Amino acid sequence: MNLKLQIIIAVIILIGFFLLTNLIRKNKLDLKYALSWILLGAGILILDLFPGITSLLARLLGIEVPVNMLFFLGFCFSLLVIFSLTMAVSRLSRRITRLTQEVALLSRRLQELTHQENDKEE
Amino acid sequence: MKNLVIIPAYNEEENIEKTIENLKAKTTLFDYIVINDCSTDHTRQICERNHYPHINLPINLGIGGAVQTGYLYAWEKGYDTAVQVDGDGQHDPAFLETMLNTLQREHASMVIGSRFIRKEGFQSSFTRRLGIRYFTWLIHLLTGKTITDPTSGLRLVNRDVIGLFARHYPKDYPEPESAVCVLHRKKKIVEIPVIMRERTGGVSSISPGNSIYYMIKVSLAILIEWIRH
Repeated sequence: MNLKLQIIIAVIILIGFFLLTNLIRKNKLDLKYALSWILLGAGILILDLFPGITSLLARLLGIEVPVNMLFFLGFCFSLLVIFSLTMAVSRLSRRITRLTQEVALLSRRLQELTHQENDKEE
Repeated sequence: MKNLVIIPAYNEEENIEKTIENLKAKTTLFDYIVINDCSTDHTRQICERNHYPHINLPINLGIGGAVQTGYLYAWEKGYDTAVQVDGDGQHDPAFLETMLNTLQREHASMVIGSRFIRKEGFQSSFTRRLGIRYFTWLIHLLTGKTITDPTSGLRLVNRDVIGLFARHYPKDYPEPESAVCVLHRKKKIVEIPVIMRERTGGVSSISPGNSIYYMIKVSLAILIEWIRH
């Protein structure tokens, strides 16, 4: 891995960190969900700054170009993040369904109570 | 005995009045509630104008979520039985009292109105019947019980199952999966012959395009339901 690529990756990650922090600061992103991305960035940054680790791992797995190891790890981690999002979406959709039902039932209850009131007045 | 008819309705302005007037004419043993699944047509206005008891879902939940709202309502209100009758006019309310008698006589947890016992009335297309036969076969394989019409939406359940469905009900294409859910808890399902009509307006939720998705999704759902306990 040459120095130019190392610097480009490091800069991209630093910009990413900056954007992430900014979004969290403005409450547009929950720290809970940003955490996995911060970890991903940190991981890639470490591997980028210490190419020795990547080369060693690449040799162990039989990958010839060390930078491919970096891409491979990034890809695996991205899959993990996407999967955790799928789980979060499932949970959210379950919760929204429950809330929707509860709101609908409450508004029905209110309707019934108003009818009873009206009947009493008449 | 308090009995409730749950009528899920999504854009059924053409059918809902007919369905409910027909229901009121055919039986007095049942209360009814329309679950308006955030329709974009005049279903809601029709319900309001005619003073039909109805629940408006603020977000479209799909058939599973809508029907489950009905079961939640039935549970809250202390109904002893609940029956699902689709808002599109396919289900004839004339069979409701027979279904109720069957439930009591057979001490069943669920009574399903089946098109395929006497093979009368609207029988659906050949490919659909093939799909339904496949579900019957799959459910028989897993539970040893035969349900001739597992996709029938016309189904009456007792309070026990109302509670079960209020807690846990599949989201889309819920019929076969929920039948397995009931069978799996060692509860009794009885089928009686009914005659269904072809829908008079609107469109079915299962088009040729998504039928493959439907078959795969429901098969997996049945398998998962089967290994769940």
